[in-house]
Amino acid sequence: MVDLNATLAEPQHFSLLEKLILIVLIAVSGSAFWLRFGKVLDKILHSKKDASFHLFPIGKRVWDFFWEVLCQAKVIRQRPLPGLAHAFVFWGFCAFALVTLNHFATGFGIGFLNPSGWFGRIYFYLAAIFALACAAGILGLFVRRFILQPKWLGEKLSYESGVIALLIFVLMATYLAAFFVADSDPAARFLWWSHTLALLIFLPIIPHTKHLHLVLSPVTVFLSRGGFSQIPPLAGDEDFGLIAGTDLTRVVSLQVYSCVECGRCTEHCPAANTGKVLNPKEVILGLRGYLNDLGPAASEPLLGKYNAEEAPFQCTTCGACEFQCPVGIEHLPILVGLRRGAVNTGTWENEYGSKLFLALERGSNSLGLPNGERDKFIEKAGLPLFDGTQDYCLWLGCMGGYDPKGREIVADFARVMNYLGTSYGVLRKEKCSGDPVRRLGNDLLFQQLAEENLKTLAENKVKKIVTICPHCVRTIQEDWKEYGTPPNVEHHSEFLARFADKLPRPVGPGFSPDIRMAESDGALAPEVSSADIRSGPEKIVFHDPCYLGRYRNIYEEPRTIVALAGDLVEAPRNHERSFCCGAGGGLAFLGEETGERVSHNRAAELVATGANMVGTACPFCNTMLRDALAQTGEGAPQLLDIAQLATRGLPKSSTN
Amino acid sequence: MSGIWVVVEEREGRISRISCEAVAAGQKLAALAGLTVNAVVLDAQTEALAAEVAAKALAKVIRIEHPLLAAYTADGFTLALQQFFAAEQPDFVIFPHSYQVRDYAPALAARLGQVHIGDVTDVAEGPVFTRQLMQGRLSGIYRHTGNGPCFVSVQAGAFRTAESEAVEISAAEVTVFKPTIEPAQIRTKPSEPFRAAAQTVDLGAAQRIVSVGRGIKDAGNLPLVQELATALGAELGASRPICDSGWLPTERQIGSSGQTVSPKLYLAVGISGAIQHLVGMKGSQCVVAINKDPSAPIFEIADYGIVGDLFEVVPALTEAVKAAKQ
Amino acid sequence: MKIIVAIKQVPERDAQVRIDSAGKWIEESGLQWALNESDAYALEEALQLKEKHGGEVVVLSAGPERVSSTIREALAKGADRAIHIDCADLGKLDALGVARLLTAAVKPENPDLVLTGLQSEDLGQGQTGVILAELLGLPHASLILHVEKTDAGLTVKRELEEGWFQSIELPTPAVLTIQSGGNKLRYATLMGIKRAKTKEVRVVAASELGQQTAPVVVLERIALPTKHKSTQMLSGTAKETAAALVEKLKFEARVL
Repeated sequence: MVDLNATLAEPQHFSLLEKLILIVLIAVSGSAFWLRFGKVLDKILHSKKDASFHLFPIGKRVWDFFWEVLCQAKVIRQRPLPGLAHAFVFWGFCAFALVTLNHFATGFGIGFLNPSGWFGRIYFYLAAIFALACAAGILGLFVRRFILQPKWLGEKLSYESGVIALLIFVLMATYLAAFFVADSDPAARFLWWSHTLALLIFLPIIPHTKHLHLVLSPVTVFLSRGGFSQIPPLAGDEDFGLIAGTDLTRVVSLQVYSCVECGRCTEHCPAANTGKVLNPKEVILGLRGYLNDLGPAASEPLLGKYNAEEAPFQCTTCGACEFQCPVGIEHLPILVGLRRGAVNTGTWENEYGSKLFLALERGSNSLGLPNGERDKFIEKAGLPLFDGTQDYCLWLGCMGGYDPKGREIVADFARVMNYLGTSYGVLRKEKCSGDPVRRLGNDLLFQQLAEENLKTLAENKVKKIVTICPHCVRTIQEDWKEYGTPPNVEHHSEFLARFADKLPRPVGPGFSPDIRMAESDGALAPEVSSADIRSGPEKIVFHDPCYLGRYRNIYEEPRTIVALAGDLVEAPRNHERSFCCGAGGGLAFLGEETGERVSHNRAAELVATGANMVGTACPFCNTMLRDALAQTGEGAPQLLDIAQLATRGLPKSSTN
Repeated sequence: MSGIWVVVEEREGRISRISCEAVAAGQKLAALAGLTVNAVVLDAQTEALAAEVAAKALAKVIRIEHPLLAAYTADGFTLALQQFFAAEQPDFVIFPHSYQVRDYAPALAARLGQVHIGDVTDVAEGPVFTRQLMQGRLSGIYRHTGNGPCFVSVQAGAFRTAESEAVEISAAEVTVFKPTIEPAQIRTKPSEPFRAAAQTVDLGAAQRIVSVGRGIKDAGNLPLVQELATALGAELGASRPICDSGWLPTERQIGSSGQTVSPKLYLAVGISGAIQHLVGMKGSQCVVAINKDPSAPIFEIADYGIVGDLFEVVPALTEAVKAAKQ
Repeated sequence: MKIIVAIKQVPERDAQVRIDSAGKWIEESGLQWALNESDAYALEEALQLKEKHGGEVVVLSAGPERVSSTIREALAKGADRAIHIDCADLGKLDALGVARLLTAAVKPENPDLVLTGLQSEDLGQGQTGVILAELLGLPHASLILHVEKTDAGLTVKRELEEGWFQSIELPTPAVLTIQSGGNKLRYATLMGIKRAKTKEVRVVAASELGQQTAPVVVLERIALPTKHKSTQMLSGTAKETAAALVEKLKFEARVL
């Protein structure tokens, strides 16, 4: 029976001996804590300063801190049940701040919260509720880790986690139990000392284990690089990327020490999910191991003993890792940094990579084709040339300019723009935006491409760009900023969504039963067989491109277009959890993968939704999924870009 | 000055076809310039070769013989010809544009203060010599403006006319010239030629060839073209990049560093027509080119051209050929 | 080993070729320039030899000011220093004239090996290296795919026609012309470019390298190539052209 009049028992009259023992214990615990924590802090502070880190604007940092740390938003959203359990543990800790202070003060006879006073009573009751939630949370997490054993927490059982869980449980239990005894009860003293011991054992454990995140991660979240996949500019003539310990910056060191080993990064990694060596968690922990063993002044390579050399080159830069990380680790700049170190120094020897770089050294596009091919396409498709007067510059990109399927998407988007009466033009000359070489870490080539393209844009007085490729969008809008001021860029899904109400829905069999009745007057249209008449509209599953979704936060605009052409169905991994097609990070150019093909994994998932159409918004996703769906054989869903979906409703006469 | 001298090379004991073409070029030049045509043959033993050359319409045939000329070396050939031409003072010296000639003719010309005009595809009034520039995208007209002999080499297949095959019995006088060459003057030591891989296919004898180039884009697309070749009863050939990438074995390579072929039908699929390839198949009786680029040089030498996507045209053609066979 | 690599800057392969107003050469304005392909292989061979045997790689190039960008590229790929023969009208010289310029720059360097590409992508004469050897009085070999250093000098792999190869031994110093495709080319790196900034590029005016005599061979004019036979272009859909072609091959050319 809970006595609502119960108060927290506070033992009184600690003897001098007890106080002395308490002091010694605090001193020992504190020193043990500092012995390790000081070292970690030392390593972080002795790391290279981040040349391009800016504390201001501080608004985003404050918001992120509030949302991600205090509200535990990422923790909960990405793994709801365990996330909530953890949130309770965290909030419990927060709530216990005053409790703990008062606890030790009591030991010295200077307790300041009166358990019988109105404030003390309310506060302790509140803390008790949190303690209950915390205890329940930690119990649930313990069961999950040791009994359910999810894959993402690693192969080995973490006994230290078990110890910590036990300690936390003891802390909560001893706190709650103290409501049921009187101040003078010896049990109260026992509970008090148990609680104290639990705390003082906990303290030094923190910096020796992944629980360092308790101290570091709020700072880490606050001191993030300021944007998603923010690749820092190289600092000076001797900086080529992350090669050795001396290249690890403070932000990187802080982040790797904050890793709580939850494995959320690995859980959605396309490489880790398809049998590749790359495991984002292991990359981070590898760097942590390096810092622990060798420190930030070491010149031994980061890749080799602590991380496999091929691992960073299996990354598609999809961003699922960075997006999910609840403690603020930014994986992408680290992975790209490792690539930079290998590529900018020429240590990376890869046949396909060299082919890509040599093609862009000598030519204009990543496919190694003569640029006369692009000119011919522009002529054949009747695309107007940009002359400085039109509203939009339609940026073709490598896929749009040279890939047959990419060209179809461009042609269809042009049809829509013609229909809408948009004024646009294409540039006479384009060079590759540099996305693949940027992600692969070839800063020399990237700078050349960015600068040349910026010059072309300025010469042509381009103010607004619209393009079909999210990689171009990202690279032009964000990555080119390092070398100039790019004009505004938007993706064709953003453009189309703005005019969605002006785009007619397709009519005819298979789209809307009512319209079909009116249209057919009993007879079937000659090119439609009875097999084409469906019982309802098309079921279209939309595949969120990484560079449109996670990178640019565009999820609904393409869906608006999909909804024009049929019924939208979602894949299990959708929106910000979308699973990569496998092309990003330059990987589309790097030849055969090991293990299962990423595109096949995703294609299987899309097919399993039962949709008869797959909608994409990226020419690379289009290419990868086309190849994967081709392996599915008969009955594979049709694959269409949203531009192609948008043209389905256009009157036939609008072909140009 | 003593007219036109054609330096003739041997291949497997006989005069090489390109050398016969060089003779034809010489004869064309002779007609333009009003000069006589003579031939020179270099080797350790030249009697049989010289007799063969003598059968062409020539004024003189010289056999340059020396034991140190048994194996080709730049030093040996340059010295021998330098000495011979010092005596003879030719107006023109015509070579076949073979790898061997490319190795020594420029040095020989330079030694005599001249510049060799190589890889010539035509000779016209002047005389001026035409050769290709910018990988076949332009022609250049060259003229020799100095005093002294003019050195020219002719491209394989450029002077391939009926005359080069004809055998005319003429009264060419055959004489022997013995140059003075010391062993120390031969600075390079060549070994026996060897092949990279076993020769299993003889494209040189094929009557029909379907050849693939860079336009095929991926090794995985080869079956498409193989089907066409099978339908036509043709051998499969390739341009250099295809073999470099390992998509087809080197013995299927057609071009200056591969096979030279002269089938009745040559189908170039996705081949741009870079000079190195054209040289290998120029002698084909009927050339068909399928390429996306209407300005691809291959169309210059094609009898029939289709500008289109080979991934569409080739299957359609396979079907049409199969249908025609029925 | 001290290796000199003679490189040439040529119009980019993609370049739209237009004949200039005089009809003697192509219009150069607006062209993009690149390192000649077989010269890139020559450079690669030189760098690999240096990596194996130590020494120095010096690149040598003749041409106007724009050539300096290609020289920098070669330095970025790993060459140690460069000599730029500043010559505004290289096109007016014949092959012998160009080779004389290069010889004058090479002679004082006393290299162990001189490498050139097999032929250039613009003129394609393939003679510079051979004439260079003649003027320097050095042994040479052309169409080389691999170079190996031996105690006696070099053993090289030479390409012959129709898939044959030949091994040649020769002493150093020597001149070799390098065929494309023998090695895998390396890509230019940021580190290379940064290091290249401090590498020496010695510019010497062509006039300082001796008097030029008048050319003995002159490129009179250039033209679009004439066709010896007219090409019948078949048009239509894939199906239509295929059918038309089979018709022609059967009844006109009579090869089917």
